[in-house]
Amino acid sequence: MRDPLILLAALAASVAGLGWLSLAMEVHWQQVCGPRPATQATVLGLRLLGAASLLGSLGLCLQVDHVSMASLVWVMTLAGAALLIAFTLSWQPLWLALLLARRPGRTGAG
Amino acid sequence: MFQNFRLTMAWLHTWFGLVLGFVLMVVFFFGSLSVFDREIDRWAIPESRFAPQPMPSFDRVLQPVFEAMTKPDAANIEAARERVNGPMADSFPVVNSWGAYTTHRDPVLSVFTSFVLPNAKQADDLVWGSLTIDPRDGRPLPQDHLKIGSQFFYPLHYSLNLHWKNLGTWIVGFAALIMLVALVSGVVMHRKIFRELFTFRPKKHTQRSALDLHNLTGVVALPFHFIFALSGLVIFGGIYFPVTHTQLEPLHELHEQHEAMATGLPAQRAGQPATLASVDAMVAEAQRRWAAKGMAGEVGFLNVQHVGDANAYVSVYRAGTDRVTLTGEGMHFKGSSGELIRVDPPVTVVAGINNFLTGLHLQHFRHWLLRWLYVLGGLSGCVCIATGFIFFVEKRKRQHAKQGLSGARWVDALAVTTVTGMLIATMAVLIANRLLPGDLPARGDWEQYGFWGAWLLAFFHALWRTAPVSEGRIAPAWGEQCWAVAALAITAVLMNWASTGDHLLSTLGRAYWPVAGVDVALLASAALAVLAARRLGRRAHLAISSPSAEAAHA
Repeated sequence: MRDPLILLAALAASVAGLGWLSLAMEVHWQQVCGPRPATQATVLGLRLLGAASLLGSLGLCLQVDHVSMASLVWVMTLAGAALLIAFTLSWQPLWLALLLARRPGRTGAG
Repeated sequence: MFQNFRLTMAWLHTWFGLVLGFVLMVVFFFGSLSVFDREIDRWAIPESRFAPQPMPSFDRVLQPVFEAMTKPDAANIEAARERVNGPMADSFPVVNSWGAYTTHRDPVLSVFTSFVLPNAKQADDLVWGSLTIDPRDGRPLPQDHLKIGSQFFYPLHYSLNLHWKNLGTWIVGFAALIMLVALVSGVVMHRKIFRELFTFRPKKHTQRSALDLHNLTGVVALPFHFIFALSGLVIFGGIYFPVTHTQLEPLHELHEQHEAMATGLPAQRAGQPATLASVDAMVAEAQRRWAAKGMAGEVGFLNVQHVGDANAYVSVYRAGTDRVTLTGEGMHFKGSSGELIRVDPPVTVVAGINNFLTGLHLQHFRHWLLRWLYVLGGLSGCVCIATGFIFFVEKRKRQHAKQGLSGARWVDALAVTTVTGMLIATMAVLIANRLLPGDLPARGDWEQYGFWGAWLLAFFHALWRTAPVSEGRIAPAWGEQCWAVAALAITAVLMNWASTGDHLLSTLGRAYWPVAGVDVALLASAALAVLAARRLGRRAHLAISSPSAEAAHA
């Protein structure tokens, strides 16, 4: 039971990581948070958080499988996570506000 | 010939992508299904719906099965006729090898025997016999029931089931090469890979959203697409570059002799009859040695070479379920005494890379998440190709309509055939499998005719119902075939229930995932098809009620 949970956490970390990286991009930030652009510091913070989360995901994959398998699983979770984030940004961008620890709500630019 | 490099790449990507895209669509889709080929086999052959089994006892179960196999398969004998001098022999007394192969997903066991072909034109020519057995008691399963997953969808993936002179394999190989070219040229054309990584704007006009989706699915799965096209080519490298049997034949023969001397595994029979010691004891010894190396595991492949001869030897390979790379950790025993002759040494770097790429592609490992992620990668490749077709048509259809050209219409008809038509054919083979009587002679062949027949019908329908494209409008063929896909998918699920009693509640309740998974996937396809059909219907309605709105979008 332990391994599937760790893999689930790795998937979640990939999704969150790519979510943060997408929010560090101005166009997606504005989709989620309205027209006011993020500050330089916020952008940097989001990038660091995103990168750390992706690394964390790799670390979790390595907990479960042999290194060759783990790296393959990790690369594929990135592909899946990128699709998920892209589709969320297309249909329900406000949901990504959760990654900023805010409640999804009306913020202006939908 | 073009103003700059990017335009050259764009031309290359457009035209090679278009032509080979039709092949690649088949390769990607049936490759994705092949990830679960064994599960589709269970759905198609209800007699085999039981839990996966380990390799059975050789001494008690397999040996009697092998000893009863005295003849190659009729089809193989037929194919060997042109390889013998004079008439074909009636009996095949010299057995070259016995083999048994299983994976962690197989309830049934494949066993095969190679016979020395009497009067063969080429020395050492062999002809094969095969059986699928229930490993619990050695009882053979009916041989004419088509394993739709592993014997139809899987070969479709790499050979298009065109076996004449390996033509299909060559076409797929060429398509894979073009795929690599398309990926590189696509990246050159794209310019905003990172800036638009997460960009998909479904509310924009069709041409723009199709391009968004094309870029999105192409880029996020780029490593997957690249490595799979490459490893696919590596796997069939021996077919594409058969140097060992053309230019280097004498060297190959010499190498074989050297290898036999170096490994101690005899390349030829001694000509002295001998009996076989207990193979179960050899398997136990191999498993003990794997466990001592920290690689405890089940047997995946068992082979007896030079059956009945003093030079007989038994090779035991491990089922590589915990590594990506193909790692058999083979152990070889002397047949007559059971003594260990050889342990396969660690592989060289080049062989290691080859094994890794092959293993990555063939996925013998036990990892359900990774399997599903492979399906996702494969299907995203399908979406990438399909949206490429749609973009091609959308970009040209109005201009072609004005000029009175039919190019866009033809491409659209072929696109419908390869996208929704392929799904219709897939559902048709599953329905044929449940519909045809169990004792119909050559039942498997009829199932395949059902597949190709349905695909042909879909093609004619697509040709007929893409007429509006030549006036710059949306083809009704897309929506209509989506409805057909949905109806057929639901029919397949119902037919499975009616013919075997394994309805979804029962299979889910028992957590029998092979069959439950296929049924759930069919229902999910039906739901997606309905969604797509309704959206297409709305769009077509909108375009008819306000043609100017659609034109203004463009």
